[in-house]
Amino acid sequence: MKNSRNQSKFGLVAGVLLALSVLLMACGDSTATTASTAAAGTTAAASATTAAAGATTAAGATTAAGTTAATATTAAAAGATTAAATGEKFKVAFVYVGPIGDGGWTFAHEQARKKLVETLPNVEATYIESVDENPTTSEAVITELAQKGNKMIFTTSFGYMDPTINVAKKFPNVYFEHATGYKTAANVAVYQVRQYQARYLAGIVAGKMTKSNIIGYVAAFPIPEVIGGINAFTLGARSVNPAAKVKVVWTNTWYDPGLEKTAAKSLLNAGADILGQHQDTPSILQAAQEVGKYAFGNDSIMESYAPKAHLASPYWDWSPYYIERVKAAMNGTWKTGDYFGGLKEGVVDLSPLNAVVPDDVKKLVDEKKAAIKAGTLDVYAGPYKDQSGATKVAAGATLSDKDITSINYFVEGVDGTIPK
Amino acid sequence: MSLKQRAAKELEIQKKLVGLPPRQIYPSTAFLAIITPILSILVALLIAALILFVSGRDAIFILSEIFRTSFIQNFAETVVKAIPLILAALGVALAFRARLWNIGAEGQFYGGVLASTGLALSFPNLPALVIIPLMVAGGLLGGALWGLLPGLLRAKLEVNEIISSLMLNYVALLLTDYLIFGPWKDPEGRNFPVTATFSDESRLPTLVEGTRIHFGLVFAIVAAGLVWLLVGRTKWGFELKVMGDNLKAARYAGINISRNIIIAFLLSGALAGLAGMSEVTGVAGRLQQNISPGYGYTAIIIAWLARLNPWAIIMVAILFGGLVSSGFTMQRVGVSSGLVTLLQGILLFCVLGGESLYRRLLYQAALRRSNLTKES
Amino acid sequence: MAGEIDVVQTLATTVAAGTPVLYATLGEILTERSGVLNLGLEGMMLVGGMAGFAATAVTGNVFIGVLVSLAAGAALALIHAFFACSIGVNQVVSGLSLTLVGTGIAAYFGRSLVGQPAADSFQTIKIPVLSDLPVVGPILFSQNLFVYFSFLLVPALYFFIYRTRPGLNLRAVGENPATADAQGISVVGTRYLYTMLGGALVGMGGASISLGSNPNWQENITAGRGWIAVGLVIFALWNPWRALVGAYLFGGLEALQFSLQVAGVPISSYFLRMLPYLLTIAALVFTQWRLKDQAGRASSAAPSGLGLFYLRRERG
Repeated sequence: MKNSRNQSKFGLVAGVLLALSVLLMACGDSTATTASTAAAGTTAAASATTAAAGATTAAGATTAAGTTAATATTAAAAGATTAAATGEKFKVAFVYVGPIGDGGWTFAHEQARKKLVETLPNVEATYIESVDENPTTSEAVITELAQKGNKMIFTTSFGYMDPTINVAKKFPNVYFEHATGYKTAANVAVYQVRQYQARYLAGIVAGKMTKSNIIGYVAAFPIPEVIGGINAFTLGARSVNPAAKVKVVWTNTWYDPGLEKTAAKSLLNAGADILGQHQDTPSILQAAQEVGKYAFGNDSIMESYAPKAHLASPYWDWSPYYIERVKAAMNGTWKTGDYFGGLKEGVVDLSPLNAVVPDDVKKLVDEKKAAIKAGTLDVYAGPYKDQSGATKVAAGATLSDKDITSINYFVEGVDGTIPK
Repeated sequence: MSLKQRAAKELEIQKKLVGLPPRQIYPSTAFLAIITPILSILVALLIAALILFVSGRDAIFILSEIFRTSFIQNFAETVVKAIPLILAALGVALAFRARLWNIGAEGQFYGGVLASTGLALSFPNLPALVIIPLMVAGGLLGGALWGLLPGLLRAKLEVNEIISSLMLNYVALLLTDYLIFGPWKDPEGRNFPVTATFSDESRLPTLVEGTRIHFGLVFAIVAAGLVWLLVGRTKWGFELKVMGDNLKAARYAGINISRNIIIAFLLSGALAGLAGMSEVTGVAGRLQQNISPGYGYTAIIIAWLARLNPWAIIMVAILFGGLVSSGFTMQRVGVSSGLVTLLQGILLFCVLGGESLYRRLLYQAALRRSNLTKES
Repeated sequence: MAGEIDVVQTLATTVAAGTPVLYATLGEILTERSGVLNLGLEGMMLVGGMAGFAATAVTGNVFIGVLVSLAAGAALALIHAFFACSIGVNQVVSGLSLTLVGTGIAAYFGRSLVGQPAADSFQTIKIPVLSDLPVVGPILFSQNLFVYFSFLLVPALYFFIYRTRPGLNLRAVGENPATADAQGISVVGTRYLYTMLGGALVGMGGASISLGSNPNWQENITAGRGWIAVGLVIFALWNPWRALVGAYLFGGLEALQFSLQVAGVPISSYFLRMLPYLLTIAALVFTQWRLKDQAGRASSAAPSGLGLFYLRRERG
């Protein structure tokens, strides 16, 4: 029996060690949090955070304020005075499909949420990330948010459409906003941005910069948003360079850095010297930088990952919309709607161009941008043909918003197929 | 009869070799069997509370909020989450009886989803009394079909079933993508990757008014009963157990191993397929991407923690349903999702550790007894 | 519309895409050779990748980053070793839990690293003379250091496992722990050692992504490669050379599906994406088929003690 006793003693020691290391990690964690807050604001803000957290703890669970990091940051931003006397804040919640660290889609929404709480100090905006699009999970999460006193809930992925509608029926006094979907109700609005406008501008840059006249495009899934983006990019490129072709490969994933890089390399190997993309990672930029070629970012500004290769990023700034809608909800002027904002509204833009882009191209992009903003240039205005050469949109005609959001064909100049 | 006797004899020898005296130790350890998981969970909660406390959060508030939300206010939602978990875990447990590692419950879940969706889309006009039994059969069959290949390969060629079943999970996901982006795309859906909404007749009825608890719960409970009967009360179940305890002994006893492996995989897959069918027709009402948030993988852990006991699986699955929602509740009150995942991992380790300590205590108790008998 | 496929470039992409998986596979081979089944590769790769990236960000030195990724992978593997070898938790379930823990740690501590460019990373180094060779030059000798190191690691591990005394002991512990124990080899100690060494390599596999092929940090940057490696171990029959073949096969299929798309081959991309998974199964079947007539099948190539808890039998 001696042996076994020794062994269990060893087990005990190891167990204690494990517990200790976990504790140490937790300590490291709390300092990390403080450090990042300090980096975001000031040291005063950091101490205010602690104070606010302490205050909430002291107040106990009576107020609905909770102990969220978001509350603390807001309190800190508003100054120390609010820490105790916040009272009722307007509670808003965001449901994210990916982690806020994805560097793309969810990252952009999270930036907008932060801007929202900075701009409207009386708003408490929490988020729940990595919520599966599975209806069991997402509907439960949205329900819980509605139960717990949120006045407004933003669901930021297409897959939340039915769950959002279902929950909205049960909570008529809560406002719901669903991104990229098409089902509305009295208390459910939908919103989307005209990504294609920025992609058209990117296409102009690509068309001007390409030497091989082969432009690659790494695309995630064949949904209208992506297909329309490829079309707009191609129309932009061919508006300045009719010989340019856009070669498309599908990855069938939003997020797989390794795979996306392989896809990018295959396009580079096929002679592409510029890469466009609709993915959530910067791997395409990195692949281009390795071989001295150029690429575009997507969803958020991805310049820092590959500054040499980065020509520009079409990116979305959701904050103007969020601020406007939350304000409306607070004033009681909120109405359901189908928002489709673009360059003009400031929710879509193309980031500043790489220094290697010649000045005349920069000027051209600025002009086109101004024209789109002024409404004198319509990206989807005819005439243009589809891949088979049949005229899709005649001269003088254009696409309706419904056509844009349900597009399912490639325009002439795209080299690739939509999987059917 | 002679088969059973021979196998029993084999088992007897086997147990003597390991030093486990048959049967008589179990009653005295029933208390241990119940108290260990409870203690493990308490220890895990304590560690979680400690970590939350150290990282500057109100641990008591957070833990009580979780309990209030997942197990009182929204208990119905927890049950809804548990339904596919119960069914898939039952399937996994069945295969585990024979020490077959079916990691493919996720793919088999999709097998059931695809079969029942195909039926619902093809026959939108059939009355519920016809289409629902049809979809149940389809779900079972779809799952079984997805389980067939790993079973067949294992039985005939000894291809490792962990890998073959795992690889088929990815294939099932891609096949689903292909269908919802292609042939099954809703014509009214503005080219988004969703199928048309199923007709009301082909939706599994709600069981409890005002909640989302659907008829799948009945499937789950009936399935638990059937698995319990099959494993505990039939010759085939006994054969599985023998195979799991000692494959050589089973072979010696003349059990048709390869046939049993195939049947076990078919049944295991069918149960996961039923889980998929009940999820897509009971909750979603249409097929979209990510219909399963990894039910098949969670099911493996559930089956193991429930010690493969069908009734325990129901309890553990409900606990896990709560655990999954508690992750989101924690995020709501400001704990980052990374920490949530970490805490869930720690919780698992605690429960697993407790579970294994319990097994060792059993073993040592047995050893002590056998030593005592030797001395006397 | 169909163009031709640039075979040389596709193969060069293959080697680059296969390398992270290769490291993870080699690590798991070491671990499994000692009789421990660790399914937590995905978690260890993520933690290794995150820690390596963080250390590089702090110190500015990629080599320190690699060392830290090794240590991080080993530290995480220690948890598994403890539960698997000291407590005797079921190793499949413990590995699944380890994946959760690793994913959580990487996500939590990596949060502030998201969006940061890499302070430094391993760039492509063209080896003089060799890289000018036709065909092999661009494929094998225009890669980064992670790739070159893996060229050395594979034969070294092979030699270690099959030709050295410690390698023999390692195999003995995995094959028949009781006999090894009787010969005076510490079963538990050996298993701890190789689980951690294996974990270190797996962690380095993560770093070969975050400091090599995709020099930045994002959550779940491995996107399931750890699981692929679990499969490749069996495909490789626990042999480092075959692991190399398997990893490149995986990388090759990944590269090929895009080459086919670019060349305009009209196969739905969903089915092309199934290829790596289906071919893994096919390769397993093929392996088993070939071994069918021989004395033992691949199941006997697996260390017999794999996944089983070894509890020393008390004497007296």
